[in-house]
Amino acid sequence: MFQRAEGRIRVSFGFCLLTAWFGLVNGWRPLGNLLGAAAVHELGHCLALRCLGTAWKSLRIGVFGAVLETNDSRLSYGGELICVLAGPAANLLCAAVCAAVGRGRWDAAAGANLVLCIFNLLPLRPLDGGRALHLAVSWLAGPAAGEVTARWAGGATGVLLGTAVVWLMGRSGGSLWLLPVAVGAYFQTVDEIFGKQAFL
Amino acid sequence: MTSRQTGKRISSVAAEQRRRNARRKGARQTGKNEPLPLGERRQLIRLVACGSIFVLLVAAKLALPAQMERFNEKLSAALSSNMDVQAVFSALGRGLSGDADSAAEEVYQAVFHPAEARETAAQAALPMPQETPAMDALREQREKALVSETTEEQALTEAQAGEQTSQSPTEVSTLAYVLYSDKNLPEDVSLEQAILDFDYCTPVSAPLSSTFGYREHPVEGEERFHYGVDLAADTGTAVACFADGTVTAVGESSSYGKYCMVRHSGGYDTLYAHCSRVTVSSGAAVSKGEKIAEVGETGMATGPHLHFELHRNGVYLNPIYYVSTS
Repeated sequence: MFQRAEGRIRVSFGFCLLTAWFGLVNGWRPLGNLLGAAAVHELGHCLALRCLGTAWKSLRIGVFGAVLETNDSRLSYGGELICVLAGPAANLLCAAVCAAVGRGRWDAAAGANLVLCIFNLLPLRPLDGGRALHLAVSWLAGPAAGEVTARWAGGATGVLLGTAVVWLMGRSGGSLWLLPVAVGAYFQTVDEIFGKQAFL
Repeated sequence: MTSRQTGKRISSVAAEQRRRNARRKGARQTGKNEPLPLGERRQLIRLVACGSIFVLLVAAKLALPAQMERFNEKLSAALSSNMDVQAVFSALGRGLSGDADSAAEEVYQAVFHPAEARETAAQAALPMPQETPAMDALREQREKALVSETTEEQALTEAQAGEQTSQSPTEVSTLAYVLYSDKNLPEDVSLEQAILDFDYCTPVSAPLSSTFGYREHPVEGEERFHYGVDLAADTGTAVACFADGTVTAVGESSSYGKYCMVRHSGGYDTLYAHCSRVTVSSGAAVSKGEKIAEVGETGMATGPHLHFELHRNGVYLNPIYYVSTS
């Protein structure tokens, strides 16, 4: 595992391998678009944190995506919700700008940002959608309700996502680089349903 | 963390280590198994899982070689078969611009029929060939040839050609097939209309005096394949380079006269022959539209013209789609 000197960015070997695999089978342009979109996404989170006066502690980049952590527990539900949704919002904004300004030249970049935005809004933790759902319900109905909702939504979404990806691989007769996504989705499902239950 | 705290932390860690070692020693002495820590247990499970998979695969390879061979083929096919991610991204981006219906269709194509999607994307990304006067001339010539034919087979061809003439500009690319489909083409000739992924220009804007394909040789008199197009321009007319590239050959031969060849990107080469003068030297980098020669009638020629050829990886292509005539 690579680690920056300050210990704030961690990139797993699994991520490097998956990135290389994706680049080899799909070409370097889509990989560049995707990594660019991921950078925009994390930048959105960072900017939101900065605006709320909080610094990020670490960025862990693994096979199943990137997780930005902060050591500031003073963030309110609303503030944390803004930070969580800032990533997809940044992607959506970037996609709109690329589509409007690029005049057809930046369609792929716009599409990559859109895909990342939609994927991250799936209600499956640790994706932004899952965390946002947990925060929103916790804010409105209490932490126990938030946990239960996030668990059920995450479990259902994980099963659906994993099955959809497996079906997609079977239907398209390949695209095996999607396999880690399916495996990750099923693992998250198991974790959501059978994992440590803090509020139950 | 202060130095005092650090010292305390180190001493407590050391004490814990001593206790752990003592427990292990005791366990070894009494013969009891102490449960492994969680991290070590995970690593052990991974190691056992990987080892088991390896042993199973080796055993399967030895016991069922034919089945494993088939499995390998399937796996290789699955690994090499991929959706067109770039096309998916592009289609979604276009969908964001407003064309949602066609975007959904393109995404479907890119995911489930990536080969077709790549072709469509390439055609969409590059401009369609324009109807040039040279192509009109080609069409006229073809119509004349068809009228002169009297056999039933050629009458059928005429009908097809008549139908072809009335078709849209996007179908012009098949024109050459209609013209020469009943001939035995030389092996190194392709009638495909290649989609060039670089900018290009007409070397000389002049009337088309001879087309690509079989013709009666103007000097030799016998039917031969003409590997380029002839553009009848006056002697001394500047010959512009077709596209950016590097001059690979400058020379003079009995048939081509003074000529030069330019290598472009994507394995394409262009040849400019019968020049009165070549103004570039071999190895020079040239750009699109740059003067590289002057029209002449050197070599085997009956009048001043530029003989222009287009090759792709050594295969002759019809340059008619890429030149405009006056």
